[in-house]
Amino acid sequence: MHALIIDDSRTMRSILRRIVTELGFETSEAGNGQEALDLLEGGLQPELCLIDWNMPLMDGYTFVTRVRADPRWRNLTLMMVTTESEHGQIVRALAAGAHEYVIKPFTPDAIVEKLELLGLAVKEVPA
Amino acid sequence: MIAVEEPSLDDVYAVVEEVWTTFLGSDEPILPAFEPQPGPIEGWTAAVTVTGAWEAMVLVTLGDRLSRTMTGRMLGIADDESSSEDLTDALGELVNVIGGNVKSLMAGPSTLSLPLVAQGAISTTSHLEEACRVDLTWSGDPLRVTVCVPRAEGEHR
Repeated sequence: MHALIIDDSRTMRSILRRIVTELGFETSEAGNGQEALDLLEGGLQPELCLIDWNMPLMDGYTFVTRVRADPRWRNLTLMMVTTESEHGQIVRALAAGAHEYVIKPFTPDAIVEKLELLGLAVKEVPA
Repeated sequence: MIAVEEPSLDDVYAVVEEVWTTFLGSDEPILPAFEPQPGPIEGWTAAVTVTGAWEAMVLVTLGDRLSRTMTGRMLGIADDESSSEDLTDALGELVNVIGGNVKSLMAGPSTLSLPLVAQGAISTTSHLEEACRVDLTWSGDPLRVTVCVPRAEGEHR
């Protein structure tokens, strides 16, 4: 399986990459929503996108709405991973088509738990 | 008159402790500083601005050694391998997460800015004043989290 990690922070991309790699995912990375859309348009076919909300050029919410508006990517699982924790924003993201929502800071277990709920965790993170 | 809200010291400490433990593990706890450093902490400062129903600037200041340790742990590299670019990115994410969680304690909706990171100090605008400061220590190194909010209406400096 392949995960596309979308976050303007290289540090957060590195943290998420280590977690999902342990779960058996291959990964690609994008620094904002537009870069991620470009990768999808270019033929990348991930099963999962991990998406920050606040990013330059195109934020995560806009990315979710753009992906959900295009039937080519209807099977793509979208998980927001963000500091935005206001109830209204969570509802907004889920209504736009995000499948799950993780608030930073998170533990690896929190990511694993969400991926299990989505049927995407393939291997346990070592203790 | 506008009521200027500010988070409590306990709340800010709880946020920092949770973020710190998540990023650095719980082997070495982050603790309130017994004797806070009186002056500025020489090193790095990272800041985010909150705008909307609650307005504020949240700043995190760390010494150079702690900045490198934090960056190394977050990126999974040796402390002495971190570049200035690494430090800027890691400390930006640190203040983003701390600022976002402090914002969640206050009335919304509000928006978090992208982080600003500098070696040295970051000046706040004149309409802001310090509302809350938490001095902490981790492994003997100082860390300071400051929340600045708009001055009360009619108060000028």
